[in-house]
Amino acid sequence: MRDFPQGIAGLGVSMHKNLLRAALLAAMAGGPVLATPPPPLPAEHLTVAKLPPRSPHWAYVLDEAQNNEIDARVLLYDGDTYRRLGQIGAGFMPGDNLSPDGNTTVVAATYFSRGGHGTRTDVVEFNDNETLTKTGEIVILPKHAQSLAMLYDIAYSADGKFVYVPYLQPAASFGVLDPVRKSVLSEIDTAGCVLVVPSGPNRVASICESGRLLTVTLNAQGREASRASSEPFFDPDKDPVFVQGVPTDDGVAYLSFLGQVHEVDLSHAQPAFRPVWSLVGAADKGVWRPGGIQIGAIHKAQGTLFVAMHRGGDGSHKEGGSEIWVFDLKSHQRIARWPVDPRQISGTVVAVQVSQDAAPILFAATDKADLAVLDAKTGRLKHVEKQFGQTPSLVLNP
Amino acid sequence: MTGAAARLRRAAVLACLIAALPVTHLYAGPQQDYILYCMGCHGPQAEGVPGKVPPLAHSLGRFMRSPEGRNYVLRVPGAANSALSDAQLAEVLNWVAQKFDAAELARGAAPFTAEEVARLRHNPLTSVLATRSAVVRQLSSTGSAPPDQY
Amino acid sequence: MPMLDRVFENSARSLARRTSRRSVLASLGRLLTGAALLPLLPIDRTARAQGAPGSGKSAVNDPQSCDYWKYCAIDGFLCACCGGTSNSCPPGTQPSPITWIGTCHNPGDGRDYIVSYNDCCGKVSCGDCFCNRNEREVPMYRLSRNNDVNWCMANSESDYHCSVSVLIGVAEPEKK
Repeated sequence: MRDFPQGIAGLGVSMHKNLLRAALLAAMAGGPVLATPPPPLPAEHLTVAKLPPRSPHWAYVLDEAQNNEIDARVLLYDGDTYRRLGQIGAGFMPGDNLSPDGNTTVVAATYFSRGGHGTRTDVVEFNDNETLTKTGEIVILPKHAQSLAMLYDIAYSADGKFVYVPYLQPAASFGVLDPVRKSVLSEIDTAGCVLVVPSGPNRVASICESGRLLTVTLNAQGREASRASSEPFFDPDKDPVFVQGVPTDDGVAYLSFLGQVHEVDLSHAQPAFRPVWSLVGAADKGVWRPGGIQIGAIHKAQGTLFVAMHRGGDGSHKEGGSEIWVFDLKSHQRIARWPVDPRQISGTVVAVQVSQDAAPILFAATDKADLAVLDAKTGRLKHVEKQFGQTPSLVLNP
Repeated sequence: MTGAAARLRRAAVLACLIAALPVTHLYAGPQQDYILYCMGCHGPQAEGVPGKVPPLAHSLGRFMRSPEGRNYVLRVPGAANSALSDAQLAEVLNWVAQKFDAAELARGAAPFTAEEVARLRHNPLTSVLATRSAVVRQLSSTGSAPPDQY
Repeated sequence: MPMLDRVFENSARSLARRTSRRSVLASLGRLLTGAALLPLLPIDRTARAQGAPGSGKSAVNDPQSCDYWKYCAIDGFLCACCGGTSNSCPPGTQPSPITWIGTCHNPGDGRDYIVSYNDCCGKVSCGDCFCNRNEREVPMYRLSRNNDVNWCMANSESDYHCSVSVLIGVAEPEKK
């Protein structure tokens, strides 16, 4: 808090006297007769805003700022008051995620020494979610996986003791970091398998070109203790799955280009694959497809899956949704179908996220940078934020 | 091995190779497979990228000298997980070795066969760099070897 | 496939000369820009004829249009709008030595062509002519078919400026 010096307060007093004189003159000139003019405004104090108490209806929206890619940022948005609450810097081609306790936003990014060029430094930065200040960093090997941001491109272990960050050289591996001591514990060669899906305190699953999941188990020091590959669970030639998995109650769900849902239970030492089910009936297969970037979201307690769907053919897998379809995870039935109203929302939906509370809201970001807020039970459009950042594409929830 | 025995062996291997080829030759061939599946990272001259992508030129033929080297080649991610069939992978590897490490290959390393590929590739390496270093060390001690650093 | 043979003839000769890395990149550039292929490709007459916008060309033949047939799986800013062309990087940027290879159909002559989607690196985002198409594109577990990753990643200055689509040759049908 800064108080302005006495001199300026004194200036206020003399301004007051001048105002009074002016008012009296105006009155004598036949102008409006004022009653006693309102007291002058008090001096302000320059402060730094404090965030309101954390709400499940907040969204951490990663904006890659595509036209200015060295200038990515995470925008914090309040889905109840429809206000921007603040911002976290995120460098070039970042990945971000939240700590399990919600207190930290971790960002992995590249910075160049001269802004747009120069020596490359890759860092994992830790940001305090109460003050939105950077509280520490770990310098990692300059081979952070630079790609379109997606879920599981950086992650904490379930107990918050490790942070996993993928590398791409283009050889694939990931780093295991200690977020408390701010150190690199190990590098795990994944032999081509990508991303880091954490399960339990010390398991990491990566998805492979062979259609398998690689599971690496770490010891207490963060070094590899063992690894195993699952049987192939999808065919990348016939029906590839989107590499960005959707977090579930006990693991992750992979959606395929043709609308198959592969739910994977990661709660045990080895992944267990549930029977595959389909988002589309026979008539719609290959016609209606999931698509976009952050294609789906699951409300874990209510057991509902929200997917951005579009009509399209081969090669349309990155097209955003013209509709959001809602499914019950137990019955596998579609329970709702919400068209995106082009009169209110510009563009197609490329990212969906749902809050995990009992009165959930759905965030939907479009390829025209609109951020829509919907009632996740009824689909009612509550609010549209026009031009929320430049290219918002990943929405995280506390 | 006597000259006659070596020639016999080579003829036998060649016969196996021909037997392993698909009956119809309508597909484009190893040159196109190299372009589509390998060249993006390993380069049009199989030169790799220093520090980032290993070369195949002056390298692959040497790995083919020993069982450990051949085992390594067939289990690297680009081979193990490649969309190429076993027969196609064998052909493209043999094509690369012939094109970019011919002198080494002329010393007698056997070409890959589809059978050998099928037997080894579905067990991907867990630690590519560490394995490569170990194999290169081993090869260095018995003759020509790929570069250790790249 | 005479034109593809020639691609590798040149590379074998370059290799025999034991060139330094810089000239390897230069010869790579020659190969990738198709300079060695120019006399052989029937499509080359069209390539030479491509002119400035407003030339009256249909979008499918316009390298500054996202509908240009060669851009069937490109992701990024078109270098043709940034001071380069569909097969050359803008001045002062560095081509990525690694890339991914795709196949696009040319309606002009009915052939499928192999194209190389290199990135041009070392400067901040061009910002013009963003284009993302995804024919036969696959997620990043199959890196050789993916356009979500930054193909500038192996450059010393890996920031991404724009993307090209370089003709490599005719794609023959594959049969496993």
